[in-house]
Amino acid sequence: MSNYLDALSVLLLISAFVLMGNKRTNAYIKSFKMQSILIAILTGVMGINSLLKDGHVDMLVVCAVVIGIKVIYIPYLLNKTCKNVAYRVEKDFYFNIPILILGCCFIVVFTYFSLSTTTGINSGNINMQVINSVSLILIGLFFMISRKKAIGLIIGFLVIENGIFVTALFATQGMPFIVDMGILMDILVAVIIMGMMAFRIDEKFVSTDGNKIKDLRG
Amino acid sequence: MLLIIHNIGEHNSLFLIAILLYLIAAVTALILIKHHKLCNIASNIICMAAALVGAAASLIKIFTGTTQTNSFILQSTIPQLSMNIRIDTLSAFFVLCLSVLVFSVSIYSIGYISHYYGKRNVGLFNFLYVSFILSMFLLMIAGNSVFFYIAWEAMSIISYFLVIFESEREENLRAGKLYIIMTHLGTAFLLIGFMMMYSYTQSFDIFGSSAAIPAAAKNLMFVFFLIGFGTKAGVMPLHIWLPQAHPAAPSNVSALMSGIMIKTAIYGMIRFMFCYLQIQDVWWGVVILCVGIVSTVLGVAYALMEHNIKKILAFSSVENIGIILIGLGVSFIAFAQNNEFLGGLALVAALLHTFNHTLFKGGLFLSAGSIQYATHTKELDKLGGLIKKMPITALMVLCFSLAISAVVPFNGFVSEWLVYQSLFLNIGYGGGGLNILSILSIAALGLAGALAAACFVKLFGISFLGLPRSDNAQKAKEVPATMNIGMGMLAGLCLASGLFPGFFIDIADKVVRSLTGLSITANLQGGFLNATAPLVVSGNSIAPLEILIVILALIAGALLIIRLIGGKYIERKYGTWDCGFEALNSRMQYTATGFSKPLRIVFSILYRPGRKVEIEEGISSYFPTSIKYKVWTEPIFEKYFYNPVLNMVSKISLKIINTVQTGSIHAYLIYIFIAVLTLMLYNRLA
Amino acid sequence: MVEAVYLIVQISVIILIAPLVNGIIKKIKALTQKRTGGPLLQMYYDLFKMLKKTAVVSDVSSWIFKVTPFIVFSTAVAAALIVPVTTLIKPRWFPGDLIMLVSIFALGRFFMMLAALDAGSTFGGMGASREAMISSLIEPSIIVSLITVGLIAKSTSVFEIMNFMQEIHNPLIHPVYIMSFCALVIIIIAETSRIPVDDPGTHLELTMVHEAMVLEYSGRNLALMELGAAIKQLVFITLLVNIFIPHDQLINITGFAGIGISLLVYLLKIVVVSIVIAIAEVSTVKLRLFSIPNLAALSFILSFIGFLQYFVFGG
Repeated sequence: MSNYLDALSVLLLISAFVLMGNKRTNAYIKSFKMQSILIAILTGVMGINSLLKDGHVDMLVVCAVVIGIKVIYIPYLLNKTCKNVAYRVEKDFYFNIPILILGCCFIVVFTYFSLSTTTGINSGNINMQVINSVSLILIGLFFMISRKKAIGLIIGFLVIENGIFVTALFATQGMPFIVDMGILMDILVAVIIMGMMAFRIDEKFVSTDGNKIKDLRG
Repeated sequence: MLLIIHNIGEHNSLFLIAILLYLIAAVTALILIKHHKLCNIASNIICMAAALVGAAASLIKIFTGTTQTNSFILQSTIPQLSMNIRIDTLSAFFVLCLSVLVFSVSIYSIGYISHYYGKRNVGLFNFLYVSFILSMFLLMIAGNSVFFYIAWEAMSIISYFLVIFESEREENLRAGKLYIIMTHLGTAFLLIGFMMMYSYTQSFDIFGSSAAIPAAAKNLMFVFFLIGFGTKAGVMPLHIWLPQAHPAAPSNVSALMSGIMIKTAIYGMIRFMFCYLQIQDVWWGVVILCVGIVSTVLGVAYALMEHNIKKILAFSSVENIGIILIGLGVSFIAFAQNNEFLGGLALVAALLHTFNHTLFKGGLFLSAGSIQYATHTKELDKLGGLIKKMPITALMVLCFSLAISAVVPFNGFVSEWLVYQSLFLNIGYGGGGLNILSILSIAALGLAGALAAACFVKLFGISFLGLPRSDNAQKAKEVPATMNIGMGMLAGLCLASGLFPGFFIDIADKVVRSLTGLSITANLQGGFLNATAPLVVSGNSIAPLEILIVILALIAGALLIIRLIGGKYIERKYGTWDCGFEALNSRMQYTATGFSKPLRIVFSILYRPGRKVEIEEGISSYFPTSIKYKVWTEPIFEKYFYNPVLNMVSKISLKIINTVQTGSIHAYLIYIFIAVLTLMLYNRLA
Repeated sequence: MVEAVYLIVQISVIILIAPLVNGIIKKIKALTQKRTGGPLLQMYYDLFKMLKKTAVVSDVSSWIFKVTPFIVFSTAVAAALIVPVTTLIKPRWFPGDLIMLVSIFALGRFFMMLAALDAGSTFGGMGASREAMISSLIEPSIIVSLITVGLIAKSTSVFEIMNFMQEIHNPLIHPVYIMSFCALVIIIIAETSRIPVDDPGTHLELTMVHEAMVLEYSGRNLALMELGAAIKQLVFITLLVNIFIPHDQLINITGFAGIGISLLVYLLKIVVVSIVIAIAEVSTVKLRLFSIPNLAALSFILSFIGFLQYFVFGG
């Protein structure tokens, strides 16, 4: 069991790296979808485990909701937004990709160094899953910092959320059902609003470059 | 001054004979100063004899001598100024490197210097050349640090004269100036180190004990020695003199400078840090390892951007010094952690790479000399097609290029393999930080290996293959036989020590055994003495000879099978594919600059390339009369470190000049007065 | 005796199967594009035909040009001797280890780049210069990913690593192996000149890398170059499947029967990997040359994080 969770946490980390290596908004959405599928598998594995052990079905419901929202609906929404926003060839990032990926690597190392003294998470010893999932949160933030376009910012935000979700899962082996649901609903609403905002920003500024918002300053 | 010669310990007068022969060679050069040809041949032949004696002496020393040292003392009445010669296996090993290189370079010089006949002062050149060798020889066998320092200074100054030997060129003078300033900066640090040595132990004896020196002082001395020797070795970021000075010197001298002079710094590091100070902390090794990584990667990265052959080679020396330092660093770390086997292995790797680098880098500088001799240019973009004009030289340059790119079955691979193995074994002994450092070194070595291959494909491919790019290259002729013999010896040794690494590892191992009392080969499976036995480091093995046999057998097999299936080989000569246009000319080929362009773009963060295109329009913008394309890379260390420091220094000195150097005699008298008073005060208080 | 069997099995299997991999990849690509495609054994026919043809050699070129095909071929086969197709044959020692493997390929590549420059053609220069770039970018991740696996197995010998991996239950769910595996997949794509790094099917100067280097070759020289490239590809795939998806621990039969079964399973794995490669190839596009560093950086960081997971985080 722990082996599979380790493997999944590493695959999640790889998906974050791949996301960082992407250049186009369509590819962001695809990578995000892949990540969401991994999270769905993760919740599925945990769900089956808890079903077999305690007979709870909570996690499986969460798994279904994750599939519904994160794997299907949010990517669909984002794709729609992408289509509505007129396509322009723009450089989307400040640094080139190898440097960004190196930055991610430093994030992972840094997370390890900062968490290696923390104990008490998950039966007394720090484990790799928590390191990987906390790195996921930070990489999401880094992704938001590194991209200019609104879609990139949204994806970064979603990765942060994924990271938090996964960290919670790994650290507690399944949160209360209601908390999971609440987070997922929150995210859904946030994405809908952000999608609309991105569209509006594009209309107003003829670009989804988030940096141009500073033009609003008087 | 009274000189008394003492002779202590095991007697080995061959070293003295070698010194004597070098002296004779130097004097011969001066006596025959009027007869250029005779002088050149005579002094070089005596030099060869001296090198042979030196090599024999050091081999005897390595194979028979154990931990004993031979010593000769020339005592003088001036206190502390005794010329103390002591030879242990470490000295002998470096003398061996020196002698091997000197022997081939001297054969080479007989032919190479012939283009100076009647034009330059050949006698003076040969005198400087021999005394340069002698100074390095004395440095390696010096028994106390005063003598070491004198030899070191002599080496620096004589090599400065050799660097500016072709002094009519402005850039040579500039290179020489930079060289002498940098090298003295380094020497100053060494001097402080030696002073500290004396002030704590009351002795300049290198072989003495450093137990009296407190730990903090030892750390400080380590830093001083690292800076001092690092400057000579040309580690990043103290390397800036190296790519200037090496190309400026005549090629046989740059072969010596790059082949062995920068190794004297490695000798110094092992002698003073390892043997004298004794490693006392892990961070020493870590610092050396970090310096090694940086030099390895950046050295080869900058080499790739150059298109002057000798500058490429100079930067590549920085890379190889980096590899040696990686080995040395691992060794220091391991000894600090009392992991003696690994420490010994890494030290063997470092020593073997030192020896190997002496062979192929010496050879490559000689090749550069041959190319320059035949074509009168060092610029890659003016060469091309030389393989048809100079087939023998081409073959040897190919050998050296393969060796330096760490490709089987040449020697560069064996020593890099040992470095890899020591890094491999290093992982798991230290904490997380050391593990990360080791894997980064492995990655750096991998990157440097591939970049070096790219760099030497460029060097060989652009200069020897394709069509000639200039008249000079078109008219090139094969160089005199003596030059090829000199290079051929080195190329043969490169191949031999690649195929039969056992013998050469054994030599390095004997040195390490006498230093640490631990034999590496005894702890290895398979045993190195049998030359054909595979190299084994705890289960990991390589067998270069077998691989070569397999490759040759496969080639033979392929030839046979193809003959059976396809019949006789029929070949049709035709022009290179030109897309159906007019015949290709040499200007359509890829240039050296073009070849490295993809990497220039990929690593633009390192190179900061700039470019400028000037188009002179003709009748319309589609038919320009001329297009000028200029591309350059910026040396980051010069720009962001040396230039600001220099500017600051010159600003401050300008201020001091204005306030202190008033020009009034009275002011100067006051200075003297104050100085004398201060000294007297110091005398009273101290 | 064992050594002789090993030598024969290794050389014959690798040389015989190598062109098949290309055949499978081409066939699957054709099928996914709704074409019939050439027969599976097309490359064998091509090789035989090329062997009989007159070689056209540029009059600018030197002996380097003629020697290179043989060196490329023989280094590829020599490298194959280090990577066993089956671990059931146990020779006493191997001529080399991982680092030797990389170095042998470097020898072949060195000559290939030289030969490309030899004819004085712009295409050759272009190919060599791009190959130099790609190989230097990919080299650190090859070394780091393989060494990481080697460190866990406590050996740099490929045979020892394969033996070690057989004792691990299902290596591909361990974080460190996942990372190294992913890194190695990227490396294989780059090293074997496949989409998205290089396009083996094109002759457009914008995209050529490997093809540009062998452009001047024809006849038996070309046959050797092509076969050498195919063998190199197979050696890398063998490295991947035999390290990360070991199968020999499942075979209890000893002697030649066991070896035969092992080879059959090996063949099956190769076919599956070829199909995966083909599908990956049709579903992606070739990257711009200067996007390759992104891929290389990804591969390096994956292998590096893999190392960290095991040796620093202590997983």
